[in-house]
Amino acid sequence: MSEPLSTGRARDGAGAIAVVDDEPMVTTALKAFLELETPYRVLCFDAPGAALETLERVPVQVVIADFMMPEMDGIEFLRRVRDCCPFATRILLTGYADKANAIRAINEVGLYYFLEKPWSNAQLELIVRNGVERSELFTELDARVSALEAANRDLTQLRQRLIRAFL
Amino acid sequence: MSGPAGSPGPDPGELEALRAENARLRAAQAELVSAARVSSLGMVVAGIAHELNTPLGALRSNRHVLSRGLERLQVILEDERVDESELGELRRIVAAVNAVVAVDEDALARITAIIVSLRGYTEGGGSAVELLDVRAALDSAISLLAHERGAQVTVTRDYAEVPSVECLGGQLHQVFLNLLRNAFQAVGERGAITLRTRSAPAEIVVTVEDTGPGIPAAQLARIFEGGFTTKGSRIAMGLGLLITSRIVARHGGRIEAQSQVGRGSAFIVHLPLAPVRLTLTETPPANPA
Repeated sequence: MSEPLSTGRARDGAGAIAVVDDEPMVTTALKAFLELETPYRVLCFDAPGAALETLERVPVQVVIADFMMPEMDGIEFLRRVRDCCPFATRILLTGYADKANAIRAINEVGLYYFLEKPWSNAQLELIVRNGVERSELFTELDARVSALEAANRDLTQLRQRLIRAFL
Repeated sequence: MSGPAGSPGPDPGELEALRAENARLRAAQAELVSAARVSSLGMVVAGIAHELNTPLGALRSNRHVLSRGLERLQVILEDERVDESELGELRRIVAAVNAVVAVDEDALARITAIIVSLRGYTEGGGSAVELLDVRAALDSAISLLAHERGAQVTVTRDYAEVPSVECLGGQLHQVFLNLLRNAFQAVGERGAITLRTRSAPAEIVVTVEDTGPGIPAAQLARIFEGGFTTKGSRIAMGLGLLITSRIVARHGGRIEAQSQVGRGSAFIVHLPLAPVRLTLTETPPANPA
């Protein structure tokens, strides 16, 4: 499938969340819950490849991925998400919680949260809200840093011009 | 106690010691076999727990969505009227409820399928004689072991029409679980497994084939002896194949292994349609010698 299973309702100003699991049962349940309880738009994918294609075009603040998926596992998928959208908060949702994979996920992809199935909606909501806020803060910080760098370049040029004018 | 008359056999004391040693070894082996059974049961239980996580996670989340949706409806209806601004909210609630009700049906169907596949494994503790369609037993092994299947492993079911066999159903389920588990372990994350059923005069033939690393000839010869492991290639069959071959023998059948290093392995089980004699006891048949 090359298109998202379903696109969430657009709600202006709010963030977007991508949910990736080869079980539509899980993506549908998560979407129903998150769209009822949060202002975010939820994009569902049943394959990591299709999700990556969309994430390159559509900005999202949080990515929730299953661990066991065909094509590639959740850790490999989140690694690619980090490369294409570094400010998206990455969450692994897994029914197969072994310690080695948890450690690998945290160390290799800068995981924000390791959530086990069956999950608690109250906990998930909190994690997702914090994840969106975190992503927005990163994006804002990045914009500020770019602005500062631009200002610094301008100042340097100005200074060089001043020096030349007085020499 | 009494050696062959007139022959210079071992003295009675030595014979007695050998007998005692033999009895001790047999007891130890029986203990190991029973331990392996328990550990194999433990693996099945872990697998079921894992398989139930997905539908249970969905059901749990959906139950929460339903009660939250209801709460919101009650709030909207509190003043006994619905105004324009609340219509959007109502639509959102209806959409969420519709979505979760559909998922609940899938989740319940999934849980039911898991329980059904389990039934064959537990019914009568393996000691009830029944007519079993081996294809159904193979399918249930596939779903029970779903958690042990690598992400890029294909399972092909090449089933020819076969008659049901008279057997101890629970025990034959264990045979297929053991063989399929070994195949999953042999291929690891990537590979192909083929399950075949064929009909032959007075017997049926079930083959479990994998594209794993294969088994060197020297080890292949001892593979049904128990305790066989080749570490590093992820084959750790332990006592599984010993138990498997015993169950097959108890049914008057036989099992053979073929393997080519670098190509894969095949385990072939021949089962008579009506076994001559089903040994219902757990003790291994006495040595014919």
